[in-house]
Amino acid sequence: MADVGLHVEQRTIFKKIDWNLVFVILALNVIGLMNLFSATHGPHSLDVQPLFVKQLIFLATGWTLFFVITFVEYTIVSRIAYFVYFANLGAVLYVTFFGRVALGAQRWIDLGFFSYQPSETMKLAMIMVLAKALSSRSVSGAGMGIRQLALPLVLMLIPFGLVVEQPDLGTGLMIAAISGSMMIFMKIRKAILAVVISLGLIAIPVAWEFVLRDYQKNRVINFLSPTNDPKGSGYNSIQSKIAVGSGRLVGKGFQKGTQSQLEFLPERHTDFIYSVLSEEHGLIGSLGTVGLFAVLFVIGLRIASTARDKFGALLAVGVLCYIFWHMFVNIGMVIGILPIVGVPLPLLSYGGSSMLTTMTGLGLVSSVAYRRYLF
Amino acid sequence: MSEFIQNPDETKELLPRFRIFYVALTLAVIIFSIRLWYLQVLQGAELREFSEKNRIKQIKVAAPRGLMLDREGRILVENRPGFEAILSPQYIENLESVAAVVAPILGTEPEKVVQRVQRSRRQNGPYAAVRLKENLSRDEVFRLKRIRLDTPGLEIREAVMRSYPLRDNGAQLFGYVSEISKKQIPLYNELYKGVQFEQGDIVGKFGIEEILERDIRGENGYQYVQVDAFGRETVTQTPNVYGEQIKDRESIAGANVILTIDRDIQEAAWKTFSGEGRIGGVVAMKANGEVLAWISTPSFDPNDFAAGISAPVWSKLINDPFKPLRNKVIQDYFAPGSTFKALMAVAALQEKVITPTTLINCPGSLRFGNRDYHDHLRGGHGTITVFEALERSSNVFFYKMGISLGIEKMYNYIFPMGIGSKTGVELPREAAGLMPNSAWKRQAMGEEWQPGENLSNAIGQGFVQATPIQLAVSYLAIGTEGKVVRPFLIKKVADLEGKVLRETQPQVLRDLQEHQSTGVHIDAATFKTVKEGLRRVVQGSRGTARQIRIPGFEIAGKTGTAQVRGFAANDIYSKCENRPINQRHHGWFVGFAPADNPEIVVAALAEHSCHGSSGAGPVVHAIMNAYFSKHYPEKMAEAAKQQKGAPAAPAPAPVEGE
Repeated sequence: MADVGLHVEQRTIFKKIDWNLVFVILALNVIGLMNLFSATHGPHSLDVQPLFVKQLIFLATGWTLFFVITFVEYTIVSRIAYFVYFANLGAVLYVTFFGRVALGAQRWIDLGFFSYQPSETMKLAMIMVLAKALSSRSVSGAGMGIRQLALPLVLMLIPFGLVVEQPDLGTGLMIAAISGSMMIFMKIRKAILAVVISLGLIAIPVAWEFVLRDYQKNRVINFLSPTNDPKGSGYNSIQSKIAVGSGRLVGKGFQKGTQSQLEFLPERHTDFIYSVLSEEHGLIGSLGTVGLFAVLFVIGLRIASTARDKFGALLAVGVLCYIFWHMFVNIGMVIGILPIVGVPLPLLSYGGSSMLTTMTGLGLVSSVAYRRYLF
Repeated sequence: MSEFIQNPDETKELLPRFRIFYVALTLAVIIFSIRLWYLQVLQGAELREFSEKNRIKQIKVAAPRGLMLDREGRILVENRPGFEAILSPQYIENLESVAAVVAPILGTEPEKVVQRVQRSRRQNGPYAAVRLKENLSRDEVFRLKRIRLDTPGLEIREAVMRSYPLRDNGAQLFGYVSEISKKQIPLYNELYKGVQFEQGDIVGKFGIEEILERDIRGENGYQYVQVDAFGRETVTQTPNVYGEQIKDRESIAGANVILTIDRDIQEAAWKTFSGEGRIGGVVAMKANGEVLAWISTPSFDPNDFAAGISAPVWSKLINDPFKPLRNKVIQDYFAPGSTFKALMAVAALQEKVITPTTLINCPGSLRFGNRDYHDHLRGGHGTITVFEALERSSNVFFYKMGISLGIEKMYNYIFPMGIGSKTGVELPREAAGLMPNSAWKRQAMGEEWQPGENLSNAIGQGFVQATPIQLAVSYLAIGTEGKVVRPFLIKKVADLEGKVLRETQPQVLRDLQEHQSTGVHIDAATFKTVKEGLRRVVQGSRGTARQIRIPGFEIAGKTGTAQVRGFAANDIYSKCENRPINQRHHGWFVGFAPADNPEIVVAALAEHSCHGSSGAGPVVHAIMNAYFSKHYPEKMAEAAKQQKGAPAAPAPAPVEGE
């Protein structure tokens, strides 16, 4: 072992970057931009056409953030996690009571150039603070008990409650899903897990009665039987399924998706961007994109599993959970296996908050990758 | 050794925990793959079809209906190009706001637009387009086009409008068209087998429009256009997939109908009959059964229906006590009154009850059983022959004929002449009228025939009932000495190139000089005698219809009064005009000309006009005058010259029950 050092070279900055990660993100960017172009350049799409250029600006900003963060020692993140968390919580608190109302919910702060959605960055702040809180826990033994779970749970429940109040159930569930995944990753006692799951089951009827608004109930009802009211609230779900299915094996071709171009698809450049892709590029395009996401996750999980420390691993895992749950819920909704939930598809949907949050998160993963090397 | 710096104590323990993520990722990919396979491969073809249906809109191009022309090719019913405003409810987001913008342009109330759309949704479902207004003005089209882009579901379509230039005149004959309702579609598909009716089709609902629907309607064409989610026509880079398979189809115009109607006669008849406010029905026929004019009043304007009839107009029509929607020529049947005496004369002469020279004593009344049967002339007519009996319309003469003949013999002669059975003219819902006999009475009323009923029926006031067209047919049979013809209205049906698809041949149903199913026949001599009697009604010095004479032509005919209700004996001579209009008698006049060899027969029923001579006679006069002026102008002019200076025949004072 003594001569090992002879073979070790100093890695250049260039070599420390995980290029696989960069390339798979780039590949998803290419698909995303191409698809967004199609979705915003239909015959009656003059109103959404400028969004494509805006998305390009978001993307460029996102990559800048990505590389800056890559070179930042991520232990700094650990140090500022609580600050970021509480600052963001303040912003969420603000929009919950004073935010701009859109689509029946208060979510945005108008910044002129774009509308900032604090609940979107809250997810990332959540991941940072949980990574910090959980990194002190051990997975050996039976798992975390009540006392060890108390802090992470409180950290999760405060933003969750606020976001649901906005009301933005989708984002709330996302916060819960990401946080829950991170906690489960750190191992929870079986008994506690069982209690939580049963509590969750009990919560469903209670939430139905006291928490859910009528439009949210409608979405669930329509998911269960979309043909109830095909021109009303079940419309989105039906049109999306038609768009996806009508793409068949190879799709209708770039900018030839009639469902999206002729505006039968609602929200086609944001929440339903994946139906545009499926309609125009068929099974090959749809599965190809899912495949690229899978590759992204595998690369990310390898980075997490080889991270320098627990905090780095948890940070990377948190970001991956963020992307995974968004992808799963968004695509699941588009292809009709989940109710309609207003959740964007990372890297593909139009939207500054989503794009910047995702690229920042991936920057953190990249940073974790960068810091793995001894030399 | 690993190339990474890892704190084994810190991260090694995490490694097994990653398995959860790989399992979750694998599950997610499998679920997505299965679902995508199901949607895009298994259901792909079906969902592709759905997406095509979403964007390809079929636009129906209604075929122009065939024209209706008169016997000389003049327009009776035609089409006019126009624009109509259409709303497609499925594209409307907020009906109230759409109605608020559209209604002021169309000059209506927003609530009415909302009501109309909601009613259509209820009746025809959410996908049927709703016609808001037809026949838009240029200004309306321009203003609608400006709000069109901001109002999804609103459309302006070119349309062919049905137009009836004669308006109220002949409305019951030509009929009307209106949009088929959802409920009617299966009925029409059943009625006109082989024709596929669709929502929004304009169909004939009455008269010739109804009975010739199959010929007139033509075939709808279709246009296929691409639309976006808001129903707007849109061009995209995508080829029109359906367009390659289904080509637009041109509409085929319906066949034209050439009617037997003569527009000149029709208008002349309308002018006198309706112009003087008469209520009832008039039919004029050529000797071969071709109908020249057909009037039923009060009438309605069929143009109102083509544009979608409004509720107040409709309720006024159906609540009118004089029933504008009844085709009175074939649907109103009343006691023929004295017009029946000519038919009685035929039976009595042929049965040898009398000969042309038999003299009968006709006092002012006749006692039969324990009742007095009155003449309308208190002093009676003295001793007269059948000629005078017809000329002066003696009641007692024909009471005596009734007593001698009995109802069975009356029936045997008069039923074959056309009373009591449908004439078979093309229009639907024709009434059969009634020629009674004892078997009928037993069946209908469960009673035996009473001898006294022979008397009342003999002067056309008992059970016997006839429509105007039946009397025209039976009088024509007298005039032609035995030919019972089938009246007809539809001369030809011809396509656009003029190729005749169908042509109606005049049809003699029976020749009464031959043996009839009732066991009788009628000799030419009998007819000649009755014709002379009828000629004297107009041409004779004491005729009851002397005022309708036309110089140069001899008219034969008979007045008649149908009693609206029976009157007590002391009421018979009270003045009809003093009663409320709905209790006044109906006046009849049936006549043909020239008297010896008729070319034209006219039957007029003037309801509640009190007298046949003054109520119905002038109409017959006007029609015959129009006919002879048109066909024999020189003879008319010459006769008028000779007549100059000579005093016109004095009009007889109208008397009850003539």
